[in-house]
Amino acid sequence: MEEQELIAGLRAKNRGVTEYLYEKYSRALFGVISRIIFDKDIAEEVFHDSFVKIIQKIDSYEESKGRLYTWMANICRNSAIDKTRSKEISQSSKTNTIEDFVYGFESNSDTIDHVNAIGVKELMKELNEEQRFIIEYIYFKGYTHSEISEEFDIPLGTVKSRVRAAIQVLRKNIDSI
Amino acid sequence: MDIQAYITSGKLELFLLGELSERERAEVLSMAAKYPAIQKELDELEEAMLAIDELTAKSPSPELKGKIFDSLESTFKVESAKSETAKAGKVVSLSPWKYFGIAASIVAVLTSAAAVFYASKFYEKEQQFTALLQEQSVMADNLNQVKQEYEAKDSQLDKLVAGDFRLVKLKGESLEMQKDASVNLFWDQGAQEVFIAVNNLNELSEEFDYQLWAIGDQGPIGIGLVNEGEKMTLQQMQAVAQAGAFAITIEPKGGSVSPTLDKLVVIGNVA
Repeated sequence: MEEQELIAGLRAKNRGVTEYLYEKYSRALFGVISRIIFDKDIAEEVFHDSFVKIIQKIDSYEESKGRLYTWMANICRNSAIDKTRSKEISQSSKTNTIEDFVYGFESNSDTIDHVNAIGVKELMKELNEEQRFIIEYIYFKGYTHSEISEEFDIPLGTVKSRVRAAIQVLRKNIDSI
Repeated sequence: MDIQAYITSGKLELFLLGELSERERAEVLSMAAKYPAIQKELDELEEAMLAIDELTAKSPSPELKGKIFDSLESTFKVESAKSETAKAGKVVSLSPWKYFGIAASIVAVLTSAAAVFYASKFYEKEQQFTALLQEQSVMADNLNQVKQEYEAKDSQLDKLVAGDFRLVKLKGESLEMQKDASVNLFWDQGAQEVFIAVNNLNELSEEFDYQLWAIGDQGPIGIGLVNEGEKMTLQQMQAVAQAGAFAITIEPKGGSVSPTLDKLVVIGNVA
């Protein structure tokens, strides 16, 4: 299905199109949340709320401002970050390191997840210490770049360029995995 | 404006992570609209970040999907009710309707084929029916003709049975024309009716006819043409009240006022 068709169907609140969206993107979007929230039940609760929000707020999505997936991923990431800040979530429910996340993959019975666990390890291996730090905080701990700057006393411009550099490494390696 | 510096600043990544303020977002979008290199980088980064997400993708529990769709049930219901009144054709999707559409098309094609088939069958049957009607009409005509012939014969028979006929045998023996010619003549003098039955007369060519004469006190009177082909059936001739003999001559087509005596074929005297 073309993205245009998909968006039109979502705007019309078409059930079939929504199911198609779920089948196509639920794993990636749930991954965005799971990276930040280790506890599977809480991650699923956040994903439930995020997906419902995506469907209900589809009218606020503007094609001129980027791809649908990016908009959806931002909703999931922001919901996950909000959750980690809430009082109800304990420290142990949060993902602290890339290792935690990979461990979560490995403990899952899903075969695809096992394959992914290896892939994630491979991907992260190429990062230097600075880049790994940035990826861990942005992707797995749910920090924003300005929070990193504040908490670790790193100039904002430096955080930005490290984000850039880290993603460049992942981007270059992703094809070889 | 240093495009490359803008690209490498990390702003685009943060834009895609949803971490920029509204003002900064608007700036990135206007820069991307202005500089194709920035738009290109944005597109490629977006692709890469989706690929990273896909690598870290994780399956939620299968039962979660049901819960999510239960939560969305009212959203679908409200919208489908709304779109009833709005125009329906706007949404092009892979919904089951597509398959219903295909199914409907197949049904339509099959129905059309069936229609053509039965139309041709109908046309065929109609032609057969028309042919039967014509046949029946011909048979009715034939029957009518037979009926008329029967009635004519019946009335002849009535006359023969009820009347007072005498038989006059007309022969060719004594003449030169046709030695074996033979015609029977039945005459009811009271009713003035004459019938003949041809036993044997030679075929004539197109330009000649046999003519019957009643020979009485006023000489021979033509009382009709004889059809030599109609053998052994009764042919009614014209009325005659008085005659001593009957004779048949060969005359030019249509008959003559007086007989050509050298072409006398048969003759018979009234006993």
